[in-house]
This record gives sequence, structure tokens and C-alpha cells, in this order.
Amino acid sequence: MHVYYPEGTVRALLATDQVTEATRQVLLERLTAPPQSPKFFSATEFVLLQTICNRLIPQEPGDAQIDIAGGIDKRLSQNESDGWRYDVMPPDGDTYKLGLTGVDETAQLLFKQPFQQLSDDQQDEVLMNIQRAVAPGQTWEHLPAGRFFEELLVEATHIYYSHPLAQEVIGYVGMADVPTWQRIGLNELEGREPQSTEAGGSELGKPSLLHAPWLL
Amino acid sequence: MRHYSTSETIDTVVIGTGAGGAPLLARLAAAGLKVVALEAGKHWNPATDFATDEKSQEKLFWNDERLSAGNDPLPFGSNNSGTGVGGSTLHYTAYTPRAQPDDLRLRTDFGVGEDWPFGFDQLEPYYDEVEQFLGVSGPAPYPWGPTRKRAYALGPLPINGAGQLMERGCKKLGIKTSAAANAALSAGYYQEGVGHRPACANRGFCQAGCTIGAKASMDVTYIPLAVHHGAEIRPESFVTQLVQDAAGRIREVIYIRNGQEERQRCRFVFLCAGTIETARLLLLNDLANSSGQIGRNLMAHTGLQIWGEFDDDVRPYKGIPGALISEDTHRPEKADFAGGYLLQSIGVMPLTYISQMARARGLWGQELKRAALAYNHVAGINILGDCLPYKHNYLELADEKDVRGLPKPRIYFSNGDNEKRMTDHADKIMRAIWDAAGAKNVWAFPRNAHVIGTCRMGNDPTKAVVNAEGQSFDIPNLFISDNSTFPSALSVNPALTIMALSLRTADRFLMSERVKKRKSGPQHE
Repeated sequence: MHVYYPEGTVRALLATDQVTEATRQVLLERLTAPPQSPKFFSATEFVLLQTICNRLIPQEPGDAQIDIAGGIDKRLSQNESDGWRYDVMPPDGDTYKLGLTGVDETAQLLFKQPFQQLSDDQQDEVLMNIQRAVAPGQTWEHLPAGRFFEELLVEATHIYYSHPLAQEVIGYVGMADVPTWQRIGLNELEGREPQSTEAGGSELGKPSLLHAPWLL
Repeated sequence: MRHYSTSETIDTVVIGTGAGGAPLLARLAAAGLKVVALEAGKHWNPATDFATDEKSQEKLFWNDERLSAGNDPLPFGSNNSGTGVGGSTLHYTAYTPRAQPDDLRLRTDFGVGEDWPFGFDQLEPYYDEVEQFLGVSGPAPYPWGPTRKRAYALGPLPINGAGQLMERGCKKLGIKTSAAANAALSAGYYQEGVGHRPACANRGFCQAGCTIGAKASMDVTYIPLAVHHGAEIRPESFVTQLVQDAAGRIREVIYIRNGQEERQRCRFVFLCAGTIETARLLLLNDLANSSGQIGRNLMAHTGLQIWGEFDDDVRPYKGIPGALISEDTHRPEKADFAGGYLLQSIGVMPLTYISQMARARGLWGQELKRAALAYNHVAGINILGDCLPYKHNYLELADEKDVRGLPKPRIYFSNGDNEKRMTDHADKIMRAIWDAAGAKNVWAFPRNAHVIGTCRMGNDPTKAVVNAEGQSFDIPNLFISDNSTFPSALSVNPALTIMALSLRTADRFLMSERVKKRKSGPQHE
């Protein structure tokens, strides 16, 4: 089921009175947050983390970038937790630092180059080995590779899909929280819910970006 | 709201304002007692403080880190925790099925697990009272369990896409379904002491906080009732110590508010902080544990979810998430396990869905993005099933300290054979339902929900922490009212039973105090 939703739906909604002030505020803040230089990671670690995140959730160079690595850095620098961690893992900050070392170590052992020098396919192979907990490297003797990958992937996914631009792509408009929802059964849509277009259809059918003055 | 001085000796301190604390708080206040509730979290104003945004609503979760150990480590935060006035009811799904009578006698019927120290007849009047007070919406008749003496307060909520799909699949397989009972209003509702609450807006955001008070979280039901009757709510008060007098009774509760230590003198303490924090506070203070059972008997419902993609437009963010139920699997025929489970249709918010898909399926790259794009076409079914207590499942204090300098709790959890067999049984049924309903790309999210146990209630002081009245065997003026006391996990969501038990605990307490007063004569007090 490959579908497209029109671009700009969430941004357009945020400019209407269909969204409560509380909701508008958090979403606009996320939409317009400028990238921050890292506070928790070193510059080198941060670039490596960005590269990894771009393999986990690829973003095209031309698109507005959702700052996944920055979100992770922000949480760690503020020492925030999501309420639990696997007992087999060190504290979150240590896990990330160790894990990044491990990624480069595995890259060196498999391809004799640091991770960032590898081709996309080679990078994916390194990550796949880590996900399957078969990656070579001493780091993984102290840090369960599979769990490290799982935690990183979930946090990256969480940050990415909390962003209004990513929510727009999947056709989510639940943030329109002023009106009630009356058409809730199967195949019933409210006027504010975007219709999808089947993939393979004409690209010309893709609506253009709606006017979003706060982005300018 | 009334305010009591910390130098005054009040009647009761209630620790925690969730499903265990709030109903009892209202009951004790209504009886004329001087009561203060200490709540670790904030007192929110949902209309202005809550956004329709999952990430910013993480403030409703208990985010102090817990350590999850065992073969099936339990996630906390969004699952199995809550903070703020209203506790985890701020983000519960408001699914409120009653336990069935046989849920309370697992040992009698199967020879495993534990019986409750009283029968269904002791809970039934309280189920009825809670349902009417909250304004539970549900069908009449309800097809399972003993015949109800009274219909639900309101008719059922409308069925969303996930519910319709489950209905479609179940019909083909001959599985009976019904609109579920949910503690969210299908019509405006008025209660004395609470005021008017509006009907549900079908916003589908129960698990991240209701903004209009249609969902019966404690902050819009029993808390206002308690305040109406003279209770004081003290939010952002994190309890650290219970201080005993020479006779061993608790005489003072110490808590941190605004970074300062405060003390409240009191005659009785009701500990209602939930399975994890109730046990943790008692272990930290080395109290009420002559049985050695605090932290033991930890259980968590089997909660396997099966997701599928459909050609139909589902838009799973709309409507009450748990719209449809089946209890045909309550005691399945020829089952190879003890107890049983219920089936529930589930709608889902996008971040929750996609994050757990990443975790369970391990999808990343373009594959993840493609799967996420199917979000508007997904629907889920999950089970909620009993769990037996095992020696290997328990809570302990870790050496590692949290931001307050207190030991973090470490929770061991591994499903036993009974849970695995039950989950296998349910996996087959749910996949069959989704096949019949026309699902594609079906996948399973294994999980356990609702952590229960750690301060078992029972009749034997060597095997239980509190008696059938919720009273500590060791400390007569200490009571526990939350899911930590459940002797067995039950095959239903726990919130309604926690509330019913909370009212029962309050009534038994008030009755025994009246008896004591009468015996000691009017000159005393």
C-alpha cells in the first residue's frame, strides 16, 4: 500500500482555529527550532551520530531536515529519562558514547575504515551486524549490541515522527483538536482529513506545498 | 480548597492520587475526616496544559528511571506508571471491564496462583457505585459475567474503524463481540460535588491525556469530590519517609516540596502510590515487611498486540481506542493454561504505533518509512490476560541512585509457561480474526502491561503484607490501596477494580473506627 498525502496539511492546520493554543505552541516550536550545536556529544561523536541516524531514517538532502541527533543530544544534556532502561545497559549517556565507539570499531574491523568513510551499503551492513548482535568488536563485549541498536532506533524514530513534517507525510491530522470527530467509522473522513493518492499515479497529481508564512 | 497546617495532627495522609488513592480520599473526607493527599506530580489544568501531541504529554509519565531486568524486561514511563494529580488515570485508556467472580479464585479453580481473601459479592456494589459515579459508557445487556443489577450509566461510545474491523473478523469466526465499557462519557454527565462533564470528542488521545474531562480520570471525578468534602490536595510533594512512634505506629510523613523537607503529623496513612512506588517507599524505610513479601509476587498482564494493515481507511487516531471487546476467551475450552484473557480492539496514536513497530519489527531505512506510511490503514487487537506470581518476578532496590539520591527500583520480569501458553493461544486467535477481516502485513508486538503485586493482600501474615481490609499486618495505622495488593492479576484491566477496592478499603476502615469509638465510649475523642 504505497500512498502519498498532500504536502502542507499540518502546517496549514496550525494556522487555523482548529488547533488549540497548547497544541499549536508545541508543534510550531518543534517546526521552527533551529539546529543546536551539541552539548552532550563531542563534535566528532555528533557527526557520527548524524550519519547513523541518516541511515536509520534517511532524509533527502533537498528536504527540510528533522534534527534527530540534536534531539538525542538535547535529552542527554538535560539528563532526561523515559522512565526506564534495560538493566543490562549502562546509563543512557554512557550507552550512547560506548555505542558510537563500537560502530566505528566494527566499521574498522569489517572494512578497515571509519564508519563515515564507508559507502551507504557498507554503513548499512555495519548497522545490520550490530542490530543482529553479531558485530565484531570488543565494545560489544561490554554493551549488548542488539539492545543498543534497538534503543537508538526507537529514540530516532520517536524524535522523527513527533515532527509535524513527518506527521504530514503519513497523513496524520489528529492535532486538529478544537472540533470534535464525528466521522470515525471505516472510510469516513472529516473535511480536515487529507485524502491519499495511490503511488504509481501521476506525480503531477501531488499537490504543491501550501503557503506557510512562519517558515519564511 | 481547605488547607491544613503541617503542625496540626490530621486524621489521614493519603500518598498518591490515582485510582487507588482518589476514591478513598473522597470517601474519608465525606465522612468528616481531616485528610491531606500528597502527590508527587503536578496538578494540571488539562484545558490549557495538555497538547494533542504525544511527545509533550510525556510529562504525565513517571519518568524517574527504573531498571528493567529478567527475560521480558517491563517498559515503564508510558507503560505502567503515572504522575500528577490523578496518577496514571491521566493517561489510562479508560477501559473498565469488571473482573468476573472466578478471577478471584484462581487457586481454587486451577490449583495455581492465589485466591482473593473475599469474593465477588464484596466488590460488586462498589463496581456499581464507581461505574455510576464516573459515568461509564457501556452496552446493555453486557454479554459476559454475572447479570448486572443496573445498566451502565450511559450507552456505549461509537465504534471506530479498528472496532468495526475486529467485529468483521470475529463475526466470520463465530466469536461474540460487544461494545466495550469505557470510563469516558457518551453524553454530558452531571454529578453532585463534581459538576458537569461533556461528552467524548472522539479525539482518540486517552493515553496522552483528555483535555475536556470527558474521560473519567481521577482529577475530574474523585479529586473534585474529595475537595468538595474538605480534603486538601498537596501536589509536587514527594514522600520520602514514614516516621514511627515508640509503639511502632506511623505518626508523621516526611516529603519534599519545592526542594524543602516538610512533615505532616497524622493518625493514619493510606499508601496508594502504585505497585512500584508503594513497595519502593516501604523498602526504603524498611517498614511493614515482617513477611519478607514486599516486592514479591510481581505480576504483569499478558498484553500481546496483533497489528494489521487494511485496504479500508481506518485513521486509527479517532474514537475511543478500546471500542470493542470479547470475553469469549475468559475461560477458553481445552485451554492448556490457567485463567484466561479478554480481546480488545485498539486504535493508536501515531508516535506510539511507529515507535513500537520500530522496536518490535526492527524496521529501519526506507522499509520503516514505508511501514509508517501505512499508519492510516492500521488496526490492532490486543489481549489482556492473567499472570501468575513467580519467585523469579520481583522488585528490589538497586545500588544505583536516582536524581533524588534514592536507590532506583530494579524490576525482574520473565513470563512463565502459563503466560507463554496463553499468549500462543491468543496469537493464533487474533491472527485468525485479522485474516478473516482482510488484514495484510500482520505483525505482533509482544508486551506485558499493568504491573501488579509487590504488597500482597491475604489472610496469612507470613505470606501477605496487608490483610483483606488493606491494613498492614505490622503497622496498624498503615493501609495500602492500589494494584500492589492484588493477590492475582485478574483477566481484565485493573483500574475499575482498584477504584472499587479503594472504596471498600475506606468503608471497612470507617466501620472499624466507628466500632472502636463506640467500644471506647464517648469520653474518648
